[in-house]
Amino acid sequence: MAMLSFEKKYRVRGGTIIGGDLFDFWVGPFYVGFFGVTTIFFSVLGTLLLVWGAAIGEGLAGQTWNLWQISIAPPPIEYGLAIAPLYEGGLWQIVTFCAIGAFVSWVLRQAEISRKLGMGYHIPVAYSVAVFAYITLVVIRPVLLGAWGHGFPYGIISHLDWVSNVGYQYLHFHYNPAHMIAITFFFTNCLALAMHGGLILSVTNPKKGESVKTSEHENAYFRDALGYSIGAIGIHRLGLFLALNAGFWSAVCIVISGPFWTRGWPEWWNWWLNLPIWF
Amino acid sequence: MKRLAMGTTLAAVLVVTSACERPPVEVVNVGFRGVGMEHVENPRQLQDSVDAVLGREPTEGILPPLGGDPAPPGTHQNVQVLGHLSAAEFTRTMNAVTQWVSPEQGCNYCHWVDPATGVVDFASDNNYTKIVSRRMFQMTQDINANWTSHVGEDRGVNCMTCHQGQPVPNNYFFFDGRSDPLRSYVDNAGARVQGTTALTGEGDNRQSIKQTEYTYALMIHMSNSLGVNCTYCHNSARFADWEESTPQRVTALRGLRMIRAQNMQHMVPLQDVWPENRLGPMGDGPKLTCASCHNGAYKPQYNAQYTWATDWPALTEIGYPNPPAGDTTAN
Repeated sequence: MAMLSFEKKYRVRGGTIIGGDLFDFWVGPFYVGFFGVTTIFFSVLGTLLLVWGAAIGEGLAGQTWNLWQISIAPPPIEYGLAIAPLYEGGLWQIVTFCAIGAFVSWVLRQAEISRKLGMGYHIPVAYSVAVFAYITLVVIRPVLLGAWGHGFPYGIISHLDWVSNVGYQYLHFHYNPAHMIAITFFFTNCLALAMHGGLILSVTNPKKGESVKTSEHENAYFRDALGYSIGAIGIHRLGLFLALNAGFWSAVCIVISGPFWTRGWPEWWNWWLNLPIWF
Repeated sequence: MKRLAMGTTLAAVLVVTSACERPPVEVVNVGFRGVGMEHVENPRQLQDSVDAVLGREPTEGILPPLGGDPAPPGTHQNVQVLGHLSAAEFTRTMNAVTQWVSPEQGCNYCHWVDPATGVVDFASDNNYTKIVSRRMFQMTQDINANWTSHVGEDRGVNCMTCHQGQPVPNNYFFFDGRSDPLRSYVDNAGARVQGTTALTGEGDNRQSIKQTEYTYALMIHMSNSLGVNCTYCHNSARFADWEESTPQRVTALRGLRMIRAQNMQHMVPLQDVWPENRLGPMGDGPKLTCASCHNGAYKPQYNAQYTWATDWPALTEIGYPNPPAGDTTAN
């Protein structure tokens, strides 16, 4: 793979997060690093444990190689925050540990590469929000509720069953205020990305004989259409803001369901009816 | 401007967070681990409700069971559904029902006082409340004898389950616009609207949106009446599937059938007995809902022992009249 002219300059050892130069080298185009090794270790171990769990038929569906039905389930709620027997959710606990190990390793690898390149930490920060959402689901909320059994099962259909049942525990999840905010961010993020993508493709695909348009055209388009153009950097700031908020409020909407609200979400809106502004 | 914005934000945050609860909460598994089949409770709110129930326990007039053979013919006049009790047990029951239903109003809430003499005529049916009360004894006997699949073999219900020390229970319904779904359930057999085939147009499902709404309203009625969520009875991935539902769903179905039977056999026939002020906006008498007994609890009154039928033969056996004096064919 071709190497960009400046890459060679940065492909030097040092600048690692934990110091020293352990695994401080590249394999082809890929930087390895200490956290690359831990990422591989945790992801390979976790995946193999999932396969092993499927082989012994640990979950609800029993032994199956049907990809849709394989499920590694968390412990029963009665085990609380203790370590569960291997076949009763202990496997889920180890896989969860591996998953968090792999995700956090990946964050740190991103940070290490940013550091070596002298860039800002925007990428690891952005990815951390996704990791935070996962940790909210399988650690923060279970701890607040007092049992690992509140984590979601690792299976394609079974995790959808979990989503459905947990939603119906609160009767109508669309009334969850943080869920509303999260959905709004997801949709707005989708809209912003579609408009941005459309704009870039439209200016970089000129008619035959014409040249590629510049940012002046981009700005002019949105000023004509909307009265305002957020600009080339601005759209990426907006995109980051929308995307991170979508993930963040998703985490909020599930962590408040249970620990901070036990009834139906429609009922939560009684605070509006209880305001002292009504006759 | 900045101060205003901060103040507004702070006020909004306070309002929104004050609407929330706090951990720890209590959760019970009702299905296979990990699939979210759970019953979630706030233990502090639950404790408040339980304390309120315990605070209503009657303290006077509840004696231990006296039992005995049925009262001999002629002991009572106009006793139609409690003839299977001994005289002592009969009096014990009357004392208790006063505590259960009319502790402030006393015996004369049902029993008629002759205005000319000022003497109570216990045999008189002049008060409508006496006739209703008799019907309620029959209903309770029917529930405890014939609906053990819902109320349990060894628990059952007594007057206190619904009345909670008041002449009129807290929860019942009349026919009006909002109770149409409940009315539908009083009249109809089933609440099933879901098709058994994946695609509409196949099979013979003729259920409309309105019927679907009725079923949804009935489900929310049960949820509110029992203080439980959907997953208390259903696996939400396959609501209609009995095999994946919890055992509670069977109990709930029997409860619905019980409610319908009791409304048809005992509440609706009282139509001509009710005075004007006990009728609903469309002129019908009160009818039972799930909430009549449950009052927001998954077990009525959180299974407090003072709501059991145990030790009350007046309520656990189907009664018969006390025969007039000299009747030798009795028993």
